[in-house]
Amino acid sequence: MEIPFVVNARKDTGLNNSKVGIWLFLASEVTLFGGLFSGYLFLRLYADYPWPERALPILPGLINTFILIGSSVTVVFAWAALKMREWRKFQFYMSITIACALGFMVLKAIEYNAKFSHHAVRISDSGPVEGYGILEGHKKKVVLEENDHLHVVHKENGKYPEESFDANRIVFKASEMTFTLTRPVHDAFVIEILKQAARRDSKITLIEDYAVKDEDQIGKDGAEKIKILKAGDELTTDALDKAEDVFLTSRAHDSAIRTNFEKASWAWIRDEKGIDQPGYDIIDLEVWKERRKEDNDKLTPLMIGAGSGITFKVEPALTLILEPSWMTSNGRNADQLKLRDDTVIKGKMLESPMILGVDAIDFSFTAMRAKEQGLDPDAVIEKSWIVQEPKLKAIWENHQEWLKGETIRLAKKDRKPSDFDRYRVTWQKIVAYAQVKEADPDADLAKMAEEKTLALPGWFDGFAGADHYNPEMAKHFPEVTIPREKVDFESTFTPKWSTYYAIYFTITGLHGLHVIGGMIVLGYYLFFGRKMYDSNPEWLANRVEVGGLFWHFVDLVWIFLFPILYLM
Amino acid sequence: MADSVAEIQKAKRLYFFIGMLLFFFTVVTVLVATVEALDFGEHGFDGVDAVIGLLIAAFKASLVMIIFMHLNHEKPLIYFFYGLALLMAFFCMWLIGWSKSDPIQFGSPTKVDGFYNPANPATDVHD
Repeated sequence: MEIPFVVNARKDTGLNNSKVGIWLFLASEVTLFGGLFSGYLFLRLYADYPWPERALPILPGLINTFILIGSSVTVVFAWAALKMREWRKFQFYMSITIACALGFMVLKAIEYNAKFSHHAVRISDSGPVEGYGILEGHKKKVVLEENDHLHVVHKENGKYPEESFDANRIVFKASEMTFTLTRPVHDAFVIEILKQAARRDSKITLIEDYAVKDEDQIGKDGAEKIKILKAGDELTTDALDKAEDVFLTSRAHDSAIRTNFEKASWAWIRDEKGIDQPGYDIIDLEVWKERRKEDNDKLTPLMIGAGSGITFKVEPALTLILEPSWMTSNGRNADQLKLRDDTVIKGKMLESPMILGVDAIDFSFTAMRAKEQGLDPDAVIEKSWIVQEPKLKAIWENHQEWLKGETIRLAKKDRKPSDFDRYRVTWQKIVAYAQVKEADPDADLAKMAEEKTLALPGWFDGFAGADHYNPEMAKHFPEVTIPREKVDFESTFTPKWSTYYAIYFTITGLHGLHVIGGMIVLGYYLFFGRKMYDSNPEWLANRVEVGGLFWHFVDLVWIFLFPILYLM
Repeated sequence: MADSVAEIQKAKRLYFFIGMLLFFFTVVTVLVATVEALDFGEHGFDGVDAVIGLLIAAFKASLVMIIFMHLNHEKPLIYFFYGLALLMAFFCMWLIGWSKSDPIQFGSPTKVDGFYNPANPATDVHD
């Protein structure tokens, strides 16, 4: 079938089909991204925390902007080459366009990876202000020593020791574990616990038999119980599944019996009192209670009555290393852990600090809350645990020194330091202060700020942010041991951390998908367009033009995204 | 629309020039955001910087739309589609901005943001 107006324009609109189609599609894309930008505006205006400014490294975004602008030029050159029937030139320019798209996605992947490996912690401070200071950095790697203490380790020959783990774990000496059968036990927890037990030669065995009444023997005198699991049986996921199946069958059976008894009792009390409808307020409660007690006495011998939990002992006591996300923060105390599947582990909580190579300190939220309550932010910050910690105290004091000079410098221009300058110590500042003090411990940071002679690391020194893999830079990021009780909330730089990262990943992720989609379409024309070029070159030119329109739109979105996300 | 070889060659020169212009204004955007001498308004990021940044971005976007996407010689129907969509997008953003400028007030208008803060009972004022 010949579809009309594919290349030639319709007489009424003056447009061919593909033009109408692509512009309608682009109109829908405008509404899509318009909605997302509105979402960004909404989140930023209504954020109940200081919105992160300049949180993203500028250089990758800038390079990506150049890449997309360049690719917009080359895609239109590719179209022009087709219009002039120059196939080789078309291939050349289209290849560059696709290479640019690939480059864009590679840089995006580098940026995303940097965020997934960068950590942030809210430090809980008791005090008059409901707020928290924030530390940012990279988690260290540790090993558990014989005395159950954690020891920081570094790479040897480019690799960490095999037994090392992230310095963000709950370390707990377990002597007993009770698994709840009323909800499914999470197999991943059990498998990891068993792995660690095997590594440390610890045995996890059932304390007492898990037995239930034989259903066929219910109601008979001297009914025996069937042992589902015996005392001494080892913990396995199969054993737990077996116990869970038996418990669920027992519960269903017992519920049915209980329901029948209750139905009979309702029927009786209605007959006894001649009441037409049920309701606790219109029956004699004492009569009802007496009847229910009689029911229960009769019920018990008729129920299977499987226990809802089984308890295992751990010998010798096992030092478990568990992820904090496996339990809620109030599921941890000195002698017990409660995991998210309601498993209870008894024993003793050992020291479970978070050890971070700190590359930023942020008191913006503390300052915001202090101002709201009419308090002096600096006085509140001075009481924070962060400022009491010696290594961080040194950084904060250097920052205060710099701030003094910066305030004088800006005052000469009738300006004041912003809250960002005052309350956020970036990785660039940490490195700069450290380098200056390393060269000269008596260096005057205030004077350097006033004269603007403090040299901050450049864009290439930290391409995707603070570079913890560069020893010359990483040595300036202090290794800080944060006690577990001080960790209010911790996360990598992902949507979990804040709505800023949620909208960042949503918008740039969707934009990235559009880049990939555009790349696939343009790639199709490049690799499979020869046949169409030979039979109907104007048709291919038309298609490339339409694909190019989509590509320009993708560039258009990034033209707004770059300043909004990276510069504001 | 460029049809003859000469017209297309001329158009290519224009595309290249516009591309260079876009690179230039990208650099300008970054300089305005990072160089203190070009920091208008208050020190650091504020509304003035946002307006300048968005104006430059809008100018660059216009160049892409008009020259690269050939909107300078398109048919009225295309303007209609695109214009409607832009209107809708701007309306969404205006709605958010409007809601911020005229919020529902429960707290004291003299406090920091005019909203009730449960941590501070003094803001529990019903106007």
